Amino acid sequence: MEELAVVGKPVTRVDAEEKVTGQTVYGYDLVLPNMLYGKALFSTRPHAIIKRINTERAKNYPGVQAVITGADAPWIHGETIKDTPFLAQGKVRYVGEPVAAVAAVDEDTAQAAVALIEVEYEDLPAYFSPEEASKPGARAIHEDYPEYHKADFIVTSPLPNVCEHFKLRTGDVEQGFRKSDLILEQSFRVPAIQHAAMEPHSAHAMVDDSGKLTVWVPNDAPFRVRTETAEALGLPPEKIRYINPYQGGGFGSKGGLKVERIAIALAYHTKGLPVRVKFNRQETFVSTSTRHGAIVRIKSGVKSDGELVAREITIYWDAGAYSEKSPTVCIRGSLPSPGPYRIPQVKVDGYAVYTNKPVAGAFRGYGIPQAAWACEQHMDDLAKRLRMDPLEFRLKNIFVDGDVAYWGEQLHNVGLKETLLKATEGIGWGKTEKLDPKGFKIGKGFACIAKPTRTPTTSNASVLVDSQGKVTILAGTVEIGQGCSTMLSQVAAEELGIPIENTRMHPLDTDVIPFDSSTTSSRSTFHMGNAVRHAAIHAREQLAEIASGILEAPQEELRFSDGKIFLDNDPQHALTIGEVIRRQLGPDGVVRGNGSYTYELGKDVDPQTGHSDHASAFYMYATQAAEVAVDEETGRVRLLRVVAAHDVGKAINPLNCVAQVEGGLAMGIGAALHEELVVDDHGRVRNSSFLDYHLVTSLDMPEMKTIIVECPTPDGPYGAKGLGEPGLAPTPAAIGNAVANALGIRIYDLPLTPERVYWAIQAATD
Amino acid sequence: MHTKIQIRLNGKMQTLTVPPFRLLLDLLRDEIGLTGTKEGCGTGDCGACTVLLNGKPVNSCLVLSGELEGADIVTIEGLKIGPYLHPVQQAFVQEGGAQCGYCTPGILMMTKALLDENINPTEEEIRFALSGNLCRCTGYAKIIQAVQTAAAELRRSYEEFPSSQRRGGCATNKMPRSH
Ligand code: FES
Ligand code: FES
Repeated sequence: MEELAVVGKPVTRVDAEEKVTGQTVYGYDLVLPNMLYGKALFSTRPHAIIKRINTERAKNYPGVQAVITGADAPWIHGETIKDTPFLAQGKVRYVGEPVAAVAAVDEDTAQAAVALIEVEYEDLPAYFSPEEASKPGARAIHEDYPEYHKADFIVTSPLPNVCEHFKLRTGDVEQGFRKSDLILEQSFRVPAIQHAAMEPHSAHAMVDDSGKLTVWVPNDAPFRVRTETAEALGLPPEKIRYINPYQGGGFGSKGGLKVERIAIALAYHTKGLPVRVKFNRQETFVSTSTRHGAIVRIKSGVKSDGELVAREITIYWDAGAYSEKSPTVCIRGSLPSPGPYRIPQVKVDGYAVYTNKPVAGAFRGYGIPQAAWACEQHMDDLAKRLRMDPLEFRLKNIFVDGDVAYWGEQLHNVGLKETLLKATEGIGWGKTEKLDPKGFKIGKGFACIAKPTRTPTTSNASVLVDSQGKVTILAGTVEIGQGCSTMLSQVAAEELGIPIENTRMHPLDTDVIPFDSSTTSSRSTFHMGNAVRHAAIHAREQLAEIASGILEAPQEELRFSDGKIFLDNDPQHALTIGEVIRRQLGPDGVVRGNGSYTYELGKDVDPQTGHSDHASAFYMYATQAAEVAVDEETGRVRLLRVVAAHDVGKAINPLNCVAQVEGGLAMGIGAALHEELVVDDHGRVRNSSFLDYHLVTSLDMPEMKTIIVECPTPDGPYGAKGLGEPGLAPTPAAIGNAVANALGIRIYDLPLTPERVYWAIQAATD
Repeated sequence: MHTKIQIRLNGKMQTLTVPPFRLLLDLLRDEIGLTGTKEGCGTGDCGACTVLLNGKPVNSCLVLSGELEGADIVTIEGLKIGPYLHPVQQAFVQEGGAQCGYCTPGILMMTKALLDENINPTEEEIRFALSGNLCRCTGYAKIIQAVQTAAAELRRSYEEFPSSQRRGGCATNKMPRSH
């Protein structure tokens, strides 16, 4: 392969300058002419029938333009199960569910009017644990679940409140256990956490005279949400337009219809005026979405030489009140939950269960962190009982190239072992450098993961080259902070041989930009990277055809570099790209290249067996290792160092790859040590502010070392896989293993707060 | 009820008529239209809204307009030096200190305040100074690196042009945080 000019280089971000000068306009900053201000009234009950709503006083409040309830917005949406009303329909299912909304001339007026709406409730029994809610005999939170419209792949269950049952069946686990020398059964818990993107949620919506609905919102999947909106409203998609201002972080929260649906509902009652609905921080915590709390039961059988024989896993995913992304989190999180290991007999049951809690949805990692918290600590405990080193135990069973995974897919380009060796080497596994300081116990641990991506999906892109040689990229990938604009600019610049300064991203607008599935699941570098690459190559071919006529040379001998086209042996007679376009197409000519990419082999997993021979376009592999000092007196876990080794296939931008991993680590550390969205037994979130919900700060971060492993996949652009999500996936398990290594005590529940660790130490010494 | 205040905003005198209870954050964003200052919480817990008030960093969501008569306010929009990026901005570009960028204006203003006070901060001092500014994207490593790069650049330029150095107190309504 020819040497790459821009790809693989630590190029600075193309959006950096506008961000450091405060010019970037985020959704929360957007102002539209004549806009009204919307506010919602939220349910105060976890599960109740709405007996009566009185909006009279609110309607009469000066400055109010519209007051609406479920009756004025009788629409139901849902990505895979249509179960979610725009505004509550006759009953509420969690504290924080939108019940009514007001549009007014300013925000204070809207808020004041919301306070005048009276709602009378009749309480119903509520469930706050997925185990309770799915016990035979539990009352249905969604009485109409059997009639709901569902995607084909949804598997229902006879158990109450289960909205999806994922099944994986490989071999015969019972027989596997009988043949094993050692059996270990454990149960782990992970609480709900919140994305806490620094930009709270907001949306603007307007319905014009022709009936066209326009929504301005930093949504991570504008085309998918357009479809979801169209299905809910019964409109053709072309009657709906989504425009994406910049997004101040999302991590999975800014997808689907959340604040969007309140703005949309109001926009149908404001006579053509646009409405803005902003959630404040508290509303963002409670009424958008959370990461799934989970209960993971895991049982394994091993031979005395460390060979894994059988593994059985049951996971309860706490879906909260509505299905949102729960079915697919359940499928894609449960599928690889037995870990990246060769295991001949596997049985997995994943249940996504409705409860009367805030809605759980997509969160960076999509189920893998919860499963890894259980599986990777269980692996260490198995090793301990086998009297084997955890590293040796993993090396004996870990996925390597050519293995057939327990879901029936043969794996290729597996960089897992390299990440395992490098991360453990980086942390000095097996070496004790420091003696335990007084009162502290030092320990090390590590954890591995493999993560699939949403498959099959499609990305399209266009590249416009103008007569000045400037390139505009039309791509539906959302810049959520991950650096996609820089990555895609690098790809286009590489293929067209232009400086990266000559590229720019077109703003995202579903009326203009070609279809893209979503900016989720770490899929963009692979899918959109391929689409933009194909589009740039298509443009280059057209330019080569023109240039070959001018230079009287065969196309194959033309080189593209530094914005010019020339013959290898004759660089003096170079033409600039702009010149080539002007000569053929005139002073205002434009060349357009189009590209499209779908991972054709991709196939959904079989709903009965969980098998697929191409479940994912690629897999992301990682190992992280941690060193901790645990204060025996207070239970405080101090993180000393973390080392993260990630197989990215090919680092298109090494600087941004490291940045993604570091950001992931911070989230993983938060989830390991502090974060938990606390819901009390009335269904109320008790810590919906940054004062009470502890994000990591600059003082909490340890020394971090990121190791980029490149095990290229031939299908990816330049060999690239994905990277956005894995940064946080193994982190809590690695820290949990380090804590267990330090104390000799296993702690099964997250987060590892001083209190929890303290009581674990007390219980062990009793 | 409105009150008339005169302020110096990013170097320009302005007279405004505002309700005295209007938050400085809302005054900047909604009334004046400077949306570079961000709202992350509105309750003083995240630092996204940090601006310089009389040279000191404050959470603008905790300051009332009524307190502002005669105040000198600098926001992210006033950080550039003429057409050039301030060394702090330049360092954040170079080191990759911004991802989604939402926390960035607040962090840059806090960094400016820190370096106005202490041009040679230790890593510990930087972490302490920025501990009230939450960032969900970066893990802070590249932010710390950017502050160090900016400090080095400022030290270099002050050696070259000693008169350009400006000192100021660093009292603040912001408390360092750690968990
Ligand atoms: S918005 Fe002012 S501190 Fe968060
Ligand atoms: S860069 Fe996104 S919050 Fe800091």
